[in-house]
Amino acid sequence: MTHQPVLSIQNLSVAYMARRGMVKAVRDVSFDVFPSETVAVIGESGCGKTTLALALVRLLSRSAKITSGKVIFRGGDHSAPVDVLRLNQRQLRAFRWRNCAMVFQSALNALNPVLKISAQVQETARAHGEHDAKRVEERALWLFQQVRLDPRRVYNAYPHELSGGMRQRVLLALGLLLDPQVVILDEPTTALDVLTQRTIIEVLKRLREEMGFALIFISHDLSMAAELAHRIVTMYAGSVVEIGQVNEVFYRPKHPYTLGLMRAVPNLSGGRAELVSIPGSPPDLIDLPKGCAFAPRCSYAQAICHEQAPPLEMRAPGHASACHFWDRLPVLRELPSSQEVG
Amino acid sequence: MVETSLSNAPPSILAVLRTRIERLFKSYLFRSLLQALFTIWLVLSVTFVLIRLMPGSPVDILVDRLVSEQGLTREEALSQAAAMFSVNFNAPIHEQYFQYLGNLLRGDLGVSISSTNTPVIEIIARFLPWTLFSVGLGLLISFVLGLLLGMLMAYWRNSFFDIAISTVASFLSSIPNYLLPIILIYLIGVQWKLLPVARMRGTYDPKLTPSLTPEFIASVLLYAILPVLTYVLSQVGHWALSMKNSTLSVLGEEYVNAAHARGLPQRRILIAYVGRNASLPLFTQLALSVGSVVGGAIIIELFFMYQGIGIRLFEAIGARDYPLMQGIFLMITVSTVLANLLADLLYSQLDPRVRLGTNK
Amino acid sequence: MTTATPSLPQSRRLPWPRLGSLWRAFRRSPSGAIGLFGVTFFLLMALIGPLIVPVPRVNVQARSQPPSFAHILGTDNQGKDIAAQIVHGSRPVITVAVLTGLITTAIAITLGALAAFLGGLFDRLVNSAANFVLTIPYLVAMTVLASFIRLNSPITQALILSLWSWPVLMRTVRAQVLSLREREYVEAAVALNLGTPHIIFREILPNMASYIAISMILAMTSAIYAQIALITLGLVPLSDLNWGKMIFSARTTGAIYLSETVWFILSPVLAIALFQWSLVTLARSIEDIFNPRLRSGA
Repeated sequence: MTHQPVLSIQNLSVAYMARRGMVKAVRDVSFDVFPSETVAVIGESGCGKTTLALALVRLLSRSAKITSGKVIFRGGDHSAPVDVLRLNQRQLRAFRWRNCAMVFQSALNALNPVLKISAQVQETARAHGEHDAKRVEERALWLFQQVRLDPRRVYNAYPHELSGGMRQRVLLALGLLLDPQVVILDEPTTALDVLTQRTIIEVLKRLREEMGFALIFISHDLSMAAELAHRIVTMYAGSVVEIGQVNEVFYRPKHPYTLGLMRAVPNLSGGRAELVSIPGSPPDLIDLPKGCAFAPRCSYAQAICHEQAPPLEMRAPGHASACHFWDRLPVLRELPSSQEVG
Repeated sequence: MVETSLSNAPPSILAVLRTRIERLFKSYLFRSLLQALFTIWLVLSVTFVLIRLMPGSPVDILVDRLVSEQGLTREEALSQAAAMFSVNFNAPIHEQYFQYLGNLLRGDLGVSISSTNTPVIEIIARFLPWTLFSVGLGLLISFVLGLLLGMLMAYWRNSFFDIAISTVASFLSSIPNYLLPIILIYLIGVQWKLLPVARMRGTYDPKLTPSLTPEFIASVLLYAILPVLTYVLSQVGHWALSMKNSTLSVLGEEYVNAAHARGLPQRRILIAYVGRNASLPLFTQLALSVGSVVGGAIIIELFFMYQGIGIRLFEAIGARDYPLMQGIFLMITVSTVLANLLADLLYSQLDPRVRLGTNK
Repeated sequence: MTTATPSLPQSRRLPWPRLGSLWRAFRRSPSGAIGLFGVTFFLLMALIGPLIVPVPRVNVQARSQPPSFAHILGTDNQGKDIAAQIVHGSRPVITVAVLTGLITTAIAITLGALAAFLGGLFDRLVNSAANFVLTIPYLVAMTVLASFIRLNSPITQALILSLWSWPVLMRTVRAQVLSLREREYVEAAVALNLGTPHIIFREILPNMASYIAISMILAMTSAIYAQIALITLGLVPLSDLNWGKMIFSARTTGAIYLSETVWFILSPVLAIALFQWSLVTLARSIEDIFNPRLRSGA
């Protein structure tokens, strides 16, 4: 990589204070996101994906605490890198949306029901020092057009007058209003019908090219991750278990959990739809097992797995995995490029 | 995927008119208005039945009294009663009913028996404004104060402030509102001697003549302090507790979180996001509470000798002044219905989902 | 026990937990325990208090005395013990309150269930009646009615008071019956042709037990509210001792402006306030304990 990451997550840990003890929802997570790059964070629900996303913009609930780590943001060539976790309230407010927009999981409820879309667009711009209402409106209308909405109608509507898919796209457009460097999407297509899902994927692909933002998207929809992402981060029980280029991870997974996830979904792009769900359930995040957190559910597990947690290490160029037996996993399908080569 | 209908043919005027009318009938405002008119009509009719048709009805009692006390014949007594109610009791019952409704529409509510032939409408016009003023002011203050306290309690939940206000509020809202004057009179008038409670009778200093001078306005406010304070104390706990619960549920809404993510200023989120959404359900309760405050006003005015419509109703009941009773009862009910309507309209202005009639 | 979507009990078992767990629940919620204690205290006062405490007598030697060991709450201007008056005055108030609670609940359940099951014209009539009643201020309606009807027995008082307090519970019962009707086990009962009363009393009402208990307690509070108001206004002919009568005489004799008589006036006010507060607190904690899915009906 020639240029520097726009967002660099370093050893981030988040815990929730519960009556029984600390719920370690995110454990020592590190990865970089480069400009114009799309990173998909995948994993079962409850694996810490959403907590991680909320921590990046510091929107965790009161009971959550960031116990360690840094989130370094490099705004541009000229601005100095800052640690998001150390920003004061005023700086944080400016960072949110202007630099890093987060589109929420439940788009249905993410808009204020008593304000028109236009008001919510304008107040967002005003909050970041954009006072030219005319220009903001033009930009919003252009963005609505980009996400394939009827711009005028949507701009003057109340949220309840729009369908779920339309609201999701409004939110996406609103996220791009200030041309942020990083956009975080949390499960952007759950609760939407397949047709709307496709529209959103197409729209994202095109806008990403045009505007050049980095995209982090949190999903348990592997087919969507495969289609959109450049790199995949697999999370299990709060920590990263595998990270690598999308084709590497999907065709040559080096962690049994990623392998399990892929076997758990039907293959959308044709082929045998052999559904194998991962047996067992995720571990108790208050009282984690001693060795590898996935060992109790893993068919490759040996004695050492229950004793010693495997470190996240490079197993192939740009492909890291936290598994003792990463080299025993099958190759799912040859990469198209390597087929051509050899 | 552009979600719009692109029919370019202009719709006919008739079709436009029809959709407009349909929208009017479906609109929240129209339905609220219709509901209010229907309720008022129902109250008028039920009152008519009570006054005229019930065995032992006020008309019968009045006629009996006139016969026994003034030695009139039944016929004379009946015609005198007819003059007081301004309804001809010899006419067929449906004619009486329409006569009664017609008189009401013209503002003719009959003549008071106890205050020598003063038209009932005059008495009401003189005293009802004071009740509406004090009750309205009390409700307004308690509502605004309750919203503020409730929001603070939600933001600082489980703090000392929250627990202290919750306890006081739950106790205050369980005391019957008309018993608060006793406590206020004791504390303010007897114990602390802040106001000459026993001498403050009426709605303003009797030495002054009504005018828009600062002196007169100050006197009006001074004399209204105790009733208004009573309404505020009896209502504020309820509003604070409701607002706290409502705010707590709004704080858990995704749009509040999303507003933070959008980097909106705290103030903006507090007012336009949390405050506005959390207070919405309270506006529907506002309508219901108008009735209970007006009801309590009867006794509260009596304790403070505040010369509003409540005292008049009490006196009318004591003197068996049926035309006056009927008139006051009707006016109180109509005021409550109108206050309900007002609260409804306010609510529909604040919640776009209701305004467009798409919600139910 | 803690599922997000409440599941219904499989059979006709009441959704009430066993007494032991009920006791534990109250111990966990201190305000609930206080409410329960307060209500029990006042009910006992009304039930057995008059049997223990002697009837207060006029005693000219001990007029308007402050609280002392002999007179816990002092004496009134005739030398009668105030505490004894509070005890003897509790019985009529609480009797009418309990009666009103029962009658209101009976009316509300009958009308609500019938409206839901019969539908059509009956449903519309009941609903318009409820709207009408809710629009007219409770106390105003009561004062006007009290001027027509002599309220000399507790039963008439309770009947008149119930006339204005059924709509809220009625609406909830109606809404619940409508929604519970849809659920399978009632459909099964309908399929077995068990008859409407059977469905209402054996299948639907047990599922609403906690909500009905709460509504009955709240009906009691509004009954006390209106009853004391009518007495304070002097619209109820009274012969025996009553909290409301104490307030009435305090008002008519101008005793509220004198500092010597403060104990006589504040005692019934505080007794009413404490009883009301205990009832409301109890109702609220029952709601918390059972967390009824039936919370909002209107």
